[in-house]
Amino acid sequence: MFVNIKDLSFKYPNSTAHCLESFNLTIQKGDITTILGESGSGKSSLLRLIAGLEMPEQGSISVDDQLMAGPSTFVQPEKRGIGMVFQDYALFPHLKVEDNITFGLHKWSRKEKKQRLNEVIELVNLKGYEKRYPYELSGGQQQRVALARALAPKPKLLLFDEPFSNLDADLQLKIREELRRILKATGVTSIFVTHDQDDAQALADQIVVLRDGKIIDLGTPRDIFGTDCDFSDRIAVKPRVLSKV
Amino acid sequence: MWLLKGVNVLNWFRNIKSNWNTWTLLSILFIALILLPSLSIILQFAAETNENWIHIKEYMLNTYIVNSVILVLFVGLFTAIIGSSLAWIISAYDFPLRGFFQWGLILPLAIPPYIGAYTYHGILNYTGVIQTTLRNQWDITVDQQYFNIMNMPGTIFIFVIFLFPYVFTITKAFLARQSTALIENARILGTSSWRIYFRTVLPIARASIVAGVSLVILEVLNDYGVVKYYGIQTFTTAIFQTWFGLGDLDSAIKLSGTLMLLILGLLILERLLRGRKRFSFTTTKVRLLQPVKLQGRRKWLAFAYCMFIFGIAFIIPFIQLISWAILTYDQSFSVEFLQVIGNTIGVAFVAAAIITIMAVVISNVSRLNRGLFAKVFPRVTILGYSIPGAVIAVGIVSLFIGLDKRIYEWGFTSSYILSTSIVMLIFAYIVRYLAVAYNSVESGFERIGTQFTDASRILGNNVTKSFFKVDVKLIRGAIFGGFILAFIDILKELPLTLILRPFNFETLATNAFNYATNEMIHEAALPSILIVCISAISIYAFHHVLERE
Ligand SMILES: Nc1ncnc2c1ncn2[C@@H]1O[C@H](COP(=O)(O)OP(=O)(O)O)[C@@H](O)[C@H]1O
Ligand SMILES: [Mg+2]
Repeated sequence: MFVNIKDLSFKYPNSTAHCLESFNLTIQKGDITTILGESGSGKSSLLRLIAGLEMPEQGSISVDDQLMAGPSTFVQPEKRGIGMVFQDYALFPHLKVEDNITFGLHKWSRKEKKQRLNEVIELVNLKGYEKRYPYELSGGQQQRVALARALAPKPKLLLFDEPFSNLDADLQLKIREELRRILKATGVTSIFVTHDQDDAQALADQIVVLRDGKIIDLGTPRDIFGTDCDFSDRIAVKPRVLSKV
Repeated sequence: MWLLKGVNVLNWFRNIKSNWNTWTLLSILFIALILLPSLSIILQFAAETNENWIHIKEYMLNTYIVNSVILVLFVGLFTAIIGSSLAWIISAYDFPLRGFFQWGLILPLAIPPYIGAYTYHGILNYTGVIQTTLRNQWDITVDQQYFNIMNMPGTIFIFVIFLFPYVFTITKAFLARQSTALIENARILGTSSWRIYFRTVLPIARASIVAGVSLVILEVLNDYGVVKYYGIQTFTTAIFQTWFGLGDLDSAIKLSGTLMLLILGLLILERLLRGRKRFSFTTTKVRLLQPVKLQGRRKWLAFAYCMFIFGIAFIIPFIQLISWAILTYDQSFSVEFLQVIGNTIGVAFVAAAIITIMAVVISNVSRLNRGLFAKVFPRVTILGYSIPGAVIAVGIVSLFIGLDKRIYEWGFTSSYILSTSIVMLIFAYIVRYLAVAYNSVESGFERIGTQFTDASRILGNNVTKSFFKVDVKLIRGAIFGGFILAFIDILKELPLTLILRPFNFETLATNAFNYATNEMIHEAALPSILIVCISAISIYAFHHVLERE
């Protein structure tokens, strides 16, 4: 398996309750996995653990057969080769779009950088915006820059933390389709965190439903929501998880 | 506990391995350095007592305590009243020159109290401008008793007019940003202004008033210049006396320890008075309080009150200093004086630069690490600011002499080198003013959060690279602000500099103070006015930069 999370437990030092407990998950190469859960269920924490921004209390995380975190191992985030798109994008406000995008390409030659920049700019449809600063872009454009920045260094794994939550509904719908196209085109394995079941369903090859740091359901969108996309009966079954649309 | 579980032991080593980098080690080293002087005092506090100390304790200690307590009580009370009432008037009402008073009323901070003290003495004494005018114009000779400012009430007056801006600025920031809803409600209910002030403003702004007053009190306890010049016996003058007059460092240490205990008590009291809700400058979106336009008599009353305070706290001493400086310019300005300016700027620049670097390292470590250790440890930097300069000086001298003895005994040097060098003075500045820069840098880091650092690390930069490529760029303003604040404080600093400067090393502050204590008040004006102008320009620049942000 490409991503292998075993028996993962985690809590923040300043709180007593575990934020994740005995969490297990495997992901196949090239798949898009969606983590679906209410706010506070531990989605962001899970991504931060995978990215190396937090240190697990127990359990192990490996990606592409490399152990990232385990009992006596901890690979720093800068060494993991994992990409991430943050909830509010975290675009560097002091850098132009092009410098934001090539930020992760330190060891590349100038020519390679230029070439890669053009590739990803094309991919996310941002031609002509290279010289702008983040604050000169709309929300949807910022989101694309964030995606391009994360894609540019060709990460083995791409993490998304509710990237649509700051966009209005129209845009969200359009970008969702586009995102799936881009991800499938690049073939990158990704984990996509959301509290929106439509997102989950439209994007995912595999859905994980999280509540209070534990997996309560796992399967394909079809398994989770039913065949004809009529999930009203599922809502009756799990009203707490799925009521937040 | 962790010994019981194999996994946890492994985790523990893993955590240490990945968290303890150069940044952490540097940060711990810096904090340890800051703690050393205080530790030195604490360790020697319990040492054997000598005769001097028994004498001091029996006959003098009471006076020091009573005088210090009287000063602290009255200065605290009056700065609270003046500072909070000005803050309220300026935040809630619109009247002539309000825009100017917003920052003009901070300007008295540019005049260090010791400079204010001899300026006012110079204005009021027999040869001063008031009495001379009365004599020459109207042939009136006044009873000296009514014009003597060199007593307890005079001392309180000086501290109040030059320190109230601490309360004013903190309370104003709070009222303008965080109290809008409450005050608007009170207004809608038709409550009168006085009632709003006493019933609403004072209670909700209590925490910020207390915070401001506690800064004022720390300044009062730190002061040496005013009380020395006006002949009031306090802890600081006593520390100087036992040390230099009697040559008794041990008793000076005991006095310092006692004063530290007193301050500890004060800080605990402050916590209690502040109440549960901790005062903070929030930077999130806030609704600003809209000032109400005053009409008629009330408009001019508000103006007169602000103008009166501004007049006695800034204009009068400022103009007096300028006129004296012009009077003595020829004699005072010399190559030696240029040397003094060079010394002052040089030493303040070096110390402020080191302070800023240390502040950045410590706050970066605190921000990037979780857990009590990383959060509580940096609070130690505040320590230096709470401890009066004279006490820090005692701690540092005892520390450096101890070190020098070792180095000497081991035969590295033929004399005491550390305790006679400028290193000691710079170290003292760092201990005392680290907190100033730290607060500024920390608030900058708080504003940007950790997400940019996280993003940079995920994109392949380690903590250090991320720091230089991202963090520094985003908090440049806060870092620069911290540097300037520390620089200004060092520029004005008196007690530490007096005690710890190397032989023949003069700064503007010591230069001015020496002239003043030698009854050459006019000659003191030139160095004083330089200090005041540099500080005033920075305050102005600061206010306008902050306003824009
Ligand atoms: N920095 C933090 N310190 C302490 N507790 C936190 C921190 N961040 C999140 N938590 C807690 O951890 C739990 C999971 O949070 P999070 O992973 O952000 O959930 P989600 O992303 O699903 O909304 C919540 O209960 C939250 O309060
Ligand atoms: Mg979240």
